[in-house]
Order: sequence, then C-alpha cells, then structure tokens
Amino acid sequence: MTTQSTSKSAPVSPLKRFLPPLIAAALVAALGVGLLRGNGGQVGGPLVDKAAPAFTLQTLDGGTVSLASLKGRPVVLNFWASWCIPCRDEAPILRGLSEKQSANGLAVVGVVFSDKNLTAVRKFTQDYALAYPSLLDPKLDTSIAYGVSGVPETFFIDKEGMVRGYDQGGLTPERLTAGLGKIGVVY
Amino acid sequence: MDRKWEMGGGRWGRLLALLLALVCTFSLAQTGEPTHGATLTATQEAQAQAIGRTIRCPVCQGLPITESPSDLSQQMLRELREQVVAGQTPGQITSYFAARYGDTVLLDPPRRGVNLLLWLGPLAALLLGGWWLLGYLKRAKGAVVPTEEAEELDEGDDYLAQVKAQVAQGKLS
Repeated sequence: MTTQSTSKSAPVSPLKRFLPPLIAAALVAALGVGLLRGNGGQVGGPLVDKAAPAFTLQTLDGGTVSLASLKGRPVVLNFWASWCIPCRDEAPILRGLSEKQSANGLAVVGVVFSDKNLTAVRKFTQDYALAYPSLLDPKLDTSIAYGVSGVPETFFIDKEGMVRGYDQGGLTPERLTAGLGKIGVVY
Repeated sequence: MDRKWEMGGGRWGRLLALLLALVCTFSLAQTGEPTHGATLTATQEAQAQAIGRTIRCPVCQGLPITESPSDLSQQMLRELREQVVAGQTPGQITSYFAARYGDTVLLDPPRRGVNLLLWLGPLAALLLGGWWLLGYLKRAKGAVVPTEEAEELDEGDDYLAQVKAQVAQGKLS
C-alpha cells in the first residue's frame, strides 16, 4: 500500500519544505515588479533630479525658443509626434494646461520627435488647437539630450532648471497633476 | 536600342565610364563619414564604430546603433562621431548616453550596483547547482551500498551463493 510507505518516510526538514516555494514566490515577485516598471507612467527617468539639458530650437512658425529664455519659470516639456496615437489622447490635456499659463508662470512647450511630415505636424496642432509652441528637432539633438526613445514623453522642469518629474506613455489628468506637484504647480 | 549599348568604345561607352567614375568618386567621399563640420580620420572612425557597437539602439530589439537603420540611431551615431572628433574618451561618450537613456542603452552593462546580479547570478547558480549535484550524487552512491536487508535477501538466494562460491574458488572471473 502506498499510503503505508509514505507514512514511514523520514520527516522533511522545514528548509527543504519551504525553500522551493519561497524561491518561486521571489521569482514571481521580481517578474511582477519588472512588468509594472515597464508599463510606463512616472517611473523616474535617468534625468530626474539633474539639470535639464539646454536647447534652442525653431518653432513651427519660424520663431526660436530656448530653455534659457524660460529661466525662472516651471516648464512642462512634452515630446510628441503626429503619428503617435497616445499623443492625441494627451494633447487636449496639455492644451487645457497651457490655457492656465501666464507670462511669468508655467510654460508648456512641445518638441516634435522624429516626424518629418510637417504638414501632418501642422494639422495636429490645428486639430487640437495647440496654443503653446511646438519646436522642431530635425537632428534629434534635443531628443537625444533628454534620452527620448519613444513618444509621448514629458519632463517636468522646476524654476531652477532641474528635471523633477518624468512621464512616458501618455499623460492622464491624474499623472499631470502629480508631475506638476513635483515642480510646485497646483493644478 | 540593344545595338547602341553594344558600342563599348563609342559615345555610350564614354558616358558609361563617366557615370562609373562619378559613382566611384561619390563612394570614396562617403568613406570619410563626414559629420556636420568635421571629418573623421580612419582611426577616429574605427573608434566611433567600436563605441557605437556597445550602444544599444533605443527603439530596436538588441541592435547596436551601428547596425540600426532607424533615424534615432543614425543621429546618435552622428553625435557619437562628433564627440570622438571633440576628443572625448570612450568612457565619457558611453557615460553621456547612459546618463540620458540609463544603463539599459549599454550593450555591455557596467559591473556595478544591481547589474552585478547579471554577472554574479550565473556564477552563484553554478555553485549552488554544483553543491546540490554533489550532495545528490553522494546520496545516490550511498543508496547502492548493500543494506542489512539486502544482505538478508542475498542469503536466501541459492544461485547467488553458488556464484559467490565459484568466484571465491576462481572459477569465474
């Protein structure tokens, strides 16, 4: 009888009994953390708490905007493209925010990432009535300086020019409020 | 039409030679890999390629920027070349990209911090596996040692007793 043979077997030590499930649980936990971290959101990019890289770029209208010219103002720097679907979801949110900006207050700035179709870029700004400047980065210098690999990505820069917050994958009103809170802006 | 193309020594031939010369000149000009305002020497280009092979294309699956046709990789390579021309060391250049994209942009992650797990993990797994295997083999070896029960069983086996006796007398080897 098998039941008799198992009852006679030597007792298994607690270490041997609990070690395999503990290892399995640790692996599952590590995978879970990895999955959640890779799911976008405010995960804290490498530039957070570092000085925001300087830039001077042309606007769609032919003007020029530099980060230095915005010194003393909190800045929301949003990288986007006309071919980017999540950018379409967050464009109205950013437009709503830009309507609150003032001359010496918050500045909202867009940077066009890897998008050579200027007609589509202009149409995007018209479709969503974007009143804030959209800067062109044809050589991707600024995108590389900010470590942008996909859009949308948003950097929250405080009055002192330090990156304090970072968001990727598309802003929601909650995530925007959280990012703004990091640069001392109540929204 | 065909007849005209066969006239190698004629007008078409000269035109073809001119076109070939133009193509060759263009190709030679490309090997200089001019960056905006600076041209790399062969040594600098080799250095740029070597560093570029350690930088991962951020929008690809495990490809270095030297092998990726993506716009971002091409621009990163251009920037890398500019830094080589400016006299930056390989360490400074890789640090520049890692500071912006994180260590994940490096195809050869630095051996520090959490990355040490990558290097020490397999070694630890090997040692643990070896330790377990040794223990298992020892237990398995112990299991084949005749137990008292087995010896008792052997005693009841006439054929085995006969074989043992013959071995002892040297009849069997």
